[in-house]
Parts: sequence; structure tokens; C-alpha cells
Amino acid sequence: MSEQQTWVRVQRDFDAPIEMVWNMWTDPELFKQWYGPMGMTVPTAEMDVVVGGTRKVCMEMKSPERTMSMWFTGVYKEVSSPSRLVYTESMCDEEGTIISPRSMGMPEGHPDITEVIVELSETDGKTTMTMVHVGVQEGTAGDGGWNQAIDKLADLIGSNT
Amino acid sequence: MTTSDQLDAAFAALANPTRRAILAHLAQGEATVNALAEPFDMSLPAISKHIRVLETAGLITRGRDAQFRPCTLNTQPLQVVASWTDQYRHIWDARFNMMADVLQTMKETKDE
Repeated sequence: MSEQQTWVRVQRDFDAPIEMVWNMWTDPELFKQWYGPMGMTVPTAEMDVVVGGTRKVCMEMKSPERTMSMWFTGVYKEVSSPSRLVYTESMCDEEGTIISPRSMGMPEGHPDITEVIVELSETDGKTTMTMVHVGVQEGTAGDGGWNQAIDKLADLIGSNT
Repeated sequence: MTTSDQLDAAFAALANPTRRAILAHLAQGEATVNALAEPFDMSLPAISKHIRVLETAGLITRGRDAQFRPCTLNTQPLQVVASWTDQYRHIWDARFNMMADVLQTMKETKDE
């Protein structure tokens, strides 16, 4: 039995109430302000923040020669305002049709689908945010391994609170 | 091996301090099993076992020289490990720095 997943986990404390941090993720206008670091901008962010609702985000990188656009789409799997948000993310074209990362020139090993899990908690007006970004390796999007990964992540998150 | 199998093998192999020390040694250049065993208070067969794990994970390759079969570091599986997770960690860190700035600005505007 092999484990097909890898993940990134980042924890941050913000000097802001939990609702403000929640809005950073769920209000498209606020989301655009922070989601495009390192010379990227976010011209489009469409979010239907309900379970089963879709999202579509465009990231743009302008250089003197040309503008490079990358589109991402996904579905909200959990929406528990203001403490927990889970959504999937895949690369797509402007119409929202999913395309494989490899055909976009991403290196081998880049997963087709990733999932972003955000957990927020507030103490004395300050908010602790834990973000886990999980990947499913190409061709292994089997439910078994996937659920196992989520269970592991639950433990991972749980052990830190 | 598929990419994910390779990742599993690489992660499993890396989850051991002796094997990480062996890789650190090999980062400085190829070495024989005897040379690799030297810093450790461990039998040669025990070290050989660790080397086999690293070899199976594709993290090292061994020369064809029948007598010495020196070990060489192979960084390719590690590059697979580094690819998307490291990439994204970097991006998320930068994003959250910006989020902190946006939150700060919002607070200041509110306080005015």
C-alpha cells in the first residue's frame, strides 16, 4: 500500500479577528488583494462559497513582452464560517475546462487536483490560521488513498490545536 | 516505479537519521561502503542494509566496480520531492505575508 499524497502545511497568526481572516478567503475583492504574490495579479476571482459551489481564479503575470494567464478552478467541499473552509483546485482554461498540469509545462509529479484546507481559530482577538494544501498524484485519485490522506490531515491539524 | 511510488520510497528512506547522514556524506562526493560506515558505531552489514534502502529508493547509485562498488548520490528523486510542495510553500508564504499586510491596512483604516 503506497501513499500517494504530499502536502504543504503553513500556520500563521494574524493580529485580526477571525471574521476578517475568513473574509480574506471568501470575499473575491479581498482575496484578489493577497492571492497574487511575486509579481502576479489576480484579475478574476469568482467564488460561489457554498458546499458544491464552484470557484474560478485567474492569475496573471505581466512582462514587457507578454501577459501570462493561469486559470484555476475548483469546488467548495466544506464551508463552515468562520472556522473551516475546504476547496479543490485544478488548472483550467478560461472557460473552466480542467487541463492537465503537464500539458501546461509543469514538472512531472505535479498533481492534477489539489485540495486546500483552511482552519481558523480566534484567541483574544488574534486569529491562528492553519492552511494545508494536499495533492493527489496523477492517475492515483483513488478514493481509498484520498480519504486516508484526509484522515491523516485531520490528525495533523487536530494535534496542533 | 511511478512518481508516487518513487516519492514514497524517497520519503521512507529519508525518515532515518543514519540514512540522512549517509546522504550528507555522499553530497560531498562518491564513497565506498567502508568509508560511509566509518563515522557510525554500527556493523558493516547494518550499514549495508541502510545503503540498500537508499539504493532501492533511487537516492543513490552504486558503481560497477565489483570489489568496491562506490556509492554516488542521485538527486533526481529529491527533485521530485522538491517540485510542487516546495514550490507551493514558497508561494503560500508570500501570499500570507501579503494577507497580513492587507489585514493591517484594514485595521488601520478602521481605527482612523
